[in-house]
Amino acid sequence: MPLPKRVVEPVHVARGTIPDHFPLPSELEAVTNGTLANTIRQLSSLSRHAEDLFGELAKEAHGLSDRANSLQARIDRLAVKVTQLDSNVEEVSLQDIHMRKAFKSSVVFDQQVVSRDTMPTAMMETYHQCDTPPPLDKLNVYREDGKDGLKFYTDPNYFFDLWSQEMLKDTEKKLHDRGKKTDESEYAEPFREPHRPRNASGGDAGHGGGRHKKRVRQPHNTRERQRQIAVGHGEYIMPTQTVQYRVPHQQQLPEEALLDMVMSDLNKPPRPNSIELTRSYPSNHQPDKQQMMYAAMNDHYRTANYGGQLSGYEDSAYGSHYAPGQTQSGSDTYQSPGGPGTPSRGGRNRPSQPPPAPPSNASSNSNTPTMNSANNTPTRGRSMSTGRETLPPPPPPPGETMSPPAMNGSSRFFYVHELCLKGLFDHFLNIYVGTIPVHLLNQRNGSRSGSPLPNHQSTPTSIMPVNMMVGHHQIVQLGVDETESSVQDLPPPPPTPDPAPVTRPDSPPCNIPPPPPPPPPPPLANGPDSIGQPQPLPPHPLTNGDIAKMIVNNPPKLKPLKSIVDGQLRKPVNPNIPAAVDPRNDLLKAIRDGIKLRKVERNEHREVERGNPLNDVASILARRVAVEVSDSDSASESECDSEGWNEHDTSATNVA
Amino acid sequence: MSTHREAIQKQIQQDWANREYIEVITGSIKKITDFLNSFDMSCRSRLAVLNEKLTTLERRIEYLEACVTKGETLT
Repeated sequence: MPLPKRVVEPVHVARGTIPDHFPLPSELEAVTNGTLANTIRQLSSLSRHAEDLFGELAKEAHGLSDRANSLQARIDRLAVKVTQLDSNVEEVSLQDIHMRKAFKSSVVFDQQVVSRDTMPTAMMETYHQCDTPPPLDKLNVYREDGKDGLKFYTDPNYFFDLWSQEMLKDTEKKLHDRGKKTDESEYAEPFREPHRPRNASGGDAGHGGGRHKKRVRQPHNTRERQRQIAVGHGEYIMPTQTVQYRVPHQQQLPEEALLDMVMSDLNKPPRPNSIELTRSYPSNHQPDKQQMMYAAMNDHYRTANYGGQLSGYEDSAYGSHYAPGQTQSGSDTYQSPGGPGTPSRGGRNRPSQPPPAPPSNASSNSNTPTMNSANNTPTRGRSMSTGRETLPPPPPPPGETMSPPAMNGSSRFFYVHELCLKGLFDHFLNIYVGTIPVHLLNQRNGSRSGSPLPNHQSTPTSIMPVNMMVGHHQIVQLGVDETESSVQDLPPPPPTPDPAPVTRPDSPPCNIPPPPPPPPPPPLANGPDSIGQPQPLPPHPLTNGDIAKMIVNNPPKLKPLKSIVDGQLRKPVNPNIPAAVDPRNDLLKAIRDGIKLRKVERNEHREVERGNPLNDVASILARRVAVEVSDSDSASESECDSEGWNEHDTSATNVA
Repeated sequence: MSTHREAIQKQIQQDWANREYIEVITGSIKKITDFLNSFDMSCRSRLAVLNEKLTTLERRIEYLEACVTKGETLT
């Protein structure tokens, strides 16, 4: 219902002008006088509105004139400056150009232009005449789900929340997609050997980044659509997908499975977005079952992890990070915990049916392990392993337990981190190849030529102290293992064997002891921030050359990684600084200076970003635009590095 | 009787005259209101156009300033 902004009152000038119980000599005159009086009231009301109107206009015009004046001043200043420009006099050093801060616009865009604050006063008066909503928030104390009762009645932020959730989810999805793409294009290059099984299993997975990106995204969308349709039609698709996981191990009839799914689906709220509101009601029935599931599953992963299974690395990675929703290997183990879970469910709904795999019922707890990733949270599960969903869970080949065959978020994550470490090594070694000790070169060649397979086969702890350059590989993998039990109790990286520790005091960033605990070097002021806020952003296409470039250009994101690098990598580099005066040392110095200085600026920026979470339109849109831009040209270095190093921050954190 | 009728006629005529007068006044009020509305709309549209131009100019000036100024370096 539209509300008029300004209402001239009284509307009916001639009504009610005759008093009821009052003898009048002449009623006509009374009506005339009353009408005239009301007309005067109308005039006064009109003048008040006119004053308000002119006031608004004057205010707006005043603001414009202020802006115009300041603009005029700027133009004048600019004119003076331009006339004084002389390209012959000024000389611009190359260094200055490189050190120049990026241009940052100071234009502030208006936000929330239609809100309670910007409501004009005339409208506000009308608004205050409206009835207030019933005080439903007084019942909040009796709500157990902690939601605001008033928001069920009216929620001004509803649409914004809806929009922002969608946007954020979309952005996340894009990031995931990109991560997957970069991941695969990444693997194709340096590690062709381990990548081959992935190619074989994942179908046409590794045909190059550009085409593969589209192919990944396409099934993603259709699957999403199909899932929606399936949910709307009583979950018809799901059983057919889960059957191939269930039937062999479960001895459950497909009809039963389907019934089970439908039954569980009845508990689901129809809309995914409204789940949270109604979550508490249906999910009250099965908390015990969920708990049991989790416990049993964790047990499984512990046993799988420490029982020396062949796929120990992958399983541990799954168990630590994505255990509930993402595991796909060893489907039979999923069913075993389902056995104890049956009584509670059977007692509730279908006493005679033994459902071996209690499906995830409503809500965000949809990560019960019996579903494959199609039933899990749609964004992550699907974007992670699109190609593998339709395949039966491949048991990792005994001889080649390299991470690519069963690549999911975490293992891929560390894998790429590994790659980047390699890239760092290459970069530094290439720069200082003339001054590097020979044994380091030998080590490097050893790690390069020897396929990573033996490294993975051997126990990490045994290798680590032996060889530093090869051992970095295992440090990462060990980090994956240890995150299962506890992230922090990693054994510290061993002291580097050869490089002289004398060089450490030389450079401030290098004053970190080799066991790099979270605190990074002093110039990296916000290292703890990045550590405390691990952002599981997917990796990016990083070839070795790119990494080298990034190190030179945009080093700031290196922070925790550098703590490792400082402890281990810099050492071969630093001993030469005081000794040999080399033109390359200038390069080193420049690199280092660049690293420090730009790091500061970037950190500030990131802190600012952290300061305001994504709660306004502009930041959400900016982030989305950034993601899309970086998605369109994934070769662009800035985005690449910003996201990619982010990734390595967290991975390095885990390692540390 | 006739005088009474004349008096009533006179009152009615007077009333009609008064009503015409009131009608003129209310009509004038309506005109004022219309004018104010159209004035408001016109002013706002012009101010919006001006605002747009100013924003464009500000951006251009900012760009030019960024081009001309040396800019802070990271040292």
